[in-house]
Amino acid sequence: MADFITSTHRKKWILSPQDLIKNCQAANQRAVEALQKYGATRVECQPDGTLAYPGAPIQGDSGQGSLPEPLTVAEELLVRRFYEQKIQQVSAAFSFPYKIQATAILYFKRFYQKWSVMEHDPKHIMLTCIYLSCKVEEFHVSAEELGKGIQQDPQVVLKNELTVLQASVSMYFELIVYTPYRSVDGFIYDLEELKLAAQFIVDSMMLTDAPLLFPPGQLALAALCTANREEPKVDFDRYLQNMPGRQRQRHSYAELMGVLDSIDLLVKDTNQPVEADVRRIDRKLKYCRNPGLQDEGKGKRERKVKQKQKRASHDIPMVNALDNSPLDLNEMHGVKRRQSEGDVML
Amino acid sequence: MGSGETNGAGRYIKGVTLGEGTFGVVFKAIDRVTNRTVAVKKIRLGKYKEGVNVTALREIKLLKELQDPNIIELIDVYPHKRNLHLVFEYMESDLEAVIRDRNIVLSPADIKSYMQMTLKGLAVCHKKWVLHRDMKPNNLLLGSDGQLKLADFGLARIFGSPDRKFTHQVFALWYRAPELLFGSKFYGPGVDIWAAGCIFAELILRRPFLQGSSDIDQLGKIFGAFGTPRESQWPDMTSLPDYVEYQYSPPQPFRSLFPMASEDCIDLLQRLFTYDPRSRISAQQALEHRYFLTEPVPTKPHLLRRPPPRSEGPPELQSPAEPFVFSPPNKARRVQLFGGDIRTAGEANRESNPQDFRDQGTPGDTIMAPM
Repeated sequence: MADFITSTHRKKWILSPQDLIKNCQAANQRAVEALQKYGATRVECQPDGTLAYPGAPIQGDSGQGSLPEPLTVAEELLVRRFYEQKIQQVSAAFSFPYKIQATAILYFKRFYQKWSVMEHDPKHIMLTCIYLSCKVEEFHVSAEELGKGIQQDPQVVLKNELTVLQASVSMYFELIVYTPYRSVDGFIYDLEELKLAAQFIVDSMMLTDAPLLFPPGQLALAALCTANREEPKVDFDRYLQNMPGRQRQRHSYAELMGVLDSIDLLVKDTNQPVEADVRRIDRKLKYCRNPGLQDEGKGKRERKVKQKQKRASHDIPMVNALDNSPLDLNEMHGVKRRQSEGDVML
Repeated sequence: MGSGETNGAGRYIKGVTLGEGTFGVVFKAIDRVTNRTVAVKKIRLGKYKEGVNVTALREIKLLKELQDPNIIELIDVYPHKRNLHLVFEYMESDLEAVIRDRNIVLSPADIKSYMQMTLKGLAVCHKKWVLHRDMKPNNLLLGSDGQLKLADFGLARIFGSPDRKFTHQVFALWYRAPELLFGSKFYGPGVDIWAAGCIFAELILRRPFLQGSSDIDQLGKIFGAFGTPRESQWPDMTSLPDYVEYQYSPPQPFRSLFPMASEDCIDLLQRLFTYDPRSRISAQQALEHRYFLTEPVPTKPHLLRRPPPRSEGPPELQSPAEPFVFSPPNKARRVQLFGGDIRTAGEANRESNPQDFRDQGTPGDTIMAPM
C-alpha cells in the first residue's frame, strides 16, 4: 500500500480546516431541516441509492413546539470522537491488527463528512466501518462473528454497508486509506538502517585508540554522525545543537563538533592490520615474550618452511596464529605495514 | 443526493447482455453523461449474508487507485435493486480471441506490441504495490483502439506488508509460477511476471505454452521445458512448503522451444522464465530490455488486426470454464515432443492422491518420465 502520491486519499481526502467546518455545518443544517420537516432526523438509504425519511411530514407549524432539540455542531463532534474511541476499543477487544481500527476510524470520519450523526446512528455506522475495514484489509471476520462479539445483531452491521460504501453518498467507494502507522514503521526503518551503519562504524572505532581517548557517548554520536553523513536520514546537526543544553555538558556545540570531527578523523586514519602483518608481528611477539622459544623455534620453523615448500601452501589460519598468545587485536592499532622487517627473527 | 437522471442507474441506458460472469450478468450500456459505450457488471447482493462480495470489493478498491491506459477503467459503481453495478469502459475483444483466431497473423512486431502493453500495465500495478494474480490472455482486454488493458482484479492484492501470508491458489494453472506450485505463501510481483512469460510464449506459439493437468504435472511441464532447477539456480526452492524433488531433466535449448523467435526475444523470455523469483526480471526492467528497443518496432495499437467484435448475445460469450486447447492436432503433437509422455504415467493416480506422492521423498521415474 505504498503509492500515496497517486492515491484517491491524497487527491480527494486531504481536506482543509475550512472544509471540515463547512461539511459539518452542512450536515448539521440538513439534519436540523429534516427535523423541522419530518419531525425526525433519521435517514435511510434505499438499496437503489435513494433516501427516505421515515419520520412523518409535519403539517404547518403546529408541531414545532414539541420538536426535540437538535445537536449542535460541537456536540456532534463530541459524539463522533466518542465513537472513534469505541472503534479502537472494539478492535482491541477482538485483537485486530492495528491497521483495522485505523482504517475503520478513517471510514467513520469520511462518512460523517457527508452525514450528521443525527441522520445515521453512529453506533451502527461504527460497527459497519469496522466490518468493512476487515474486509478491505483482507482480515476476514464474518458479520456474525463481529456481531456476536459485541452483542449486536449482525444484520445491523450489514444493513449500513452499502450506505457507507455508496458512491455519491459517502465514500465514493474509495476504500484504500493510508494511516500513519506504516509511516512510523518506515521512518523507524530508516533509523534502524542508521543504527546498523553506526554500529558498523563503532566496530571499527573499537579497533582504534578512540575508546581510550573519548567517552562512549561522544564515540556513539560520532558514529551516528558519520553514518548519517554517508546516507542522511535525520537532521543531526540540529539534534547536536540541542544536546549541550539538554545534558548540562561542559562542551559547547562547537566543541562537540570538534570532538566528533576528531573522532571521525581518528577512525578514518587508523589502518586496520592485515593478516600477514599480524602473523608476522605475533611471531615477533611470541619470541620477544619468551626468547627461549627462539632456538627451539628455529628448528621447528625450518621444518615448517620445508613442508611449506613441499606443499606450496601457506594457509595458516590467523586464529591459530593467535591462539596461544595473549595478544589482543585491540592492541594492534596503528600498525603500519612495514615491508622490510619480515625476516628479523630468522 | 439520491439517484437523478445522471446518477446511479439513471445514468446508463441498458443495452444487450454481453455475458455471464462469476457473480452476475454483464451488459452493454450507454453512459448518458459521456455518451460512451460501457460494460456494466451486475453483482448480486441477494444472499446478503456477508454483504458486498469480497471479490467485487477488491476489484473496486484497487481499480479506484489504478488509472492507466493499460488498465481497465472503472467508471462508476452504483447500487440498484439489490445489485451492485460496476461500470467499466467497454472493451471489444480480448487477447485470447486474438490468439485463437487463425485468420489473424501475428507478426513479431504485433507480438512485441501486445507484450509491451501487457508489461506496461503490470509495471503500473507493481509500482503501486498491487499483484494481479490472474494474468492470462482472456483477462487482457482489447479496446476498439487496439489498446490492451489488464482486467479482472478480483484476485488482486496489495503486497509489500512484511509477514503477510498469501494463498498460493491463484492464477489459472497454466500461468502459475513454480514458487506458487511449490506452495509459497510469501511471494511477490514475480508471479505476475512468470504469467507474462507464459502469455509471451503463447503469442509466439499460438497455443498455451505449458498445459499441465494438475499442480504436479504443471511443474513437470515447466521442468520438462526449462530443466529441473538446481539449488544454485534457485536457493530458496527446497524450503518451500510443498517442495518435492523431481527427477533431474535437462533444460531444452530455448531455441528449440521457440524456433522462430529472435535472439532478443529469446533472451527476454529466458529472463521472464527465471526460476528464482528474486532474480526474475521485473516488469519495468523487461520494458527496458533491448527486445523493445530494437527492430522491429512494436506495431501501433490501432494498427493491430483484431478479431471481429464480440457478437452480441449471451450464448457465444460464455467463456469456457474448462481449459480449452486451441491448437490444431499437429501442434499438440509437438508439445508431446518436449512434454514427454508424463500424462500416461499413472496420471489419475497422482492427481487423486498427491500427498502420497509427496511422502515418497524422491519420486522417481514413475512420476517424471525422462524428457
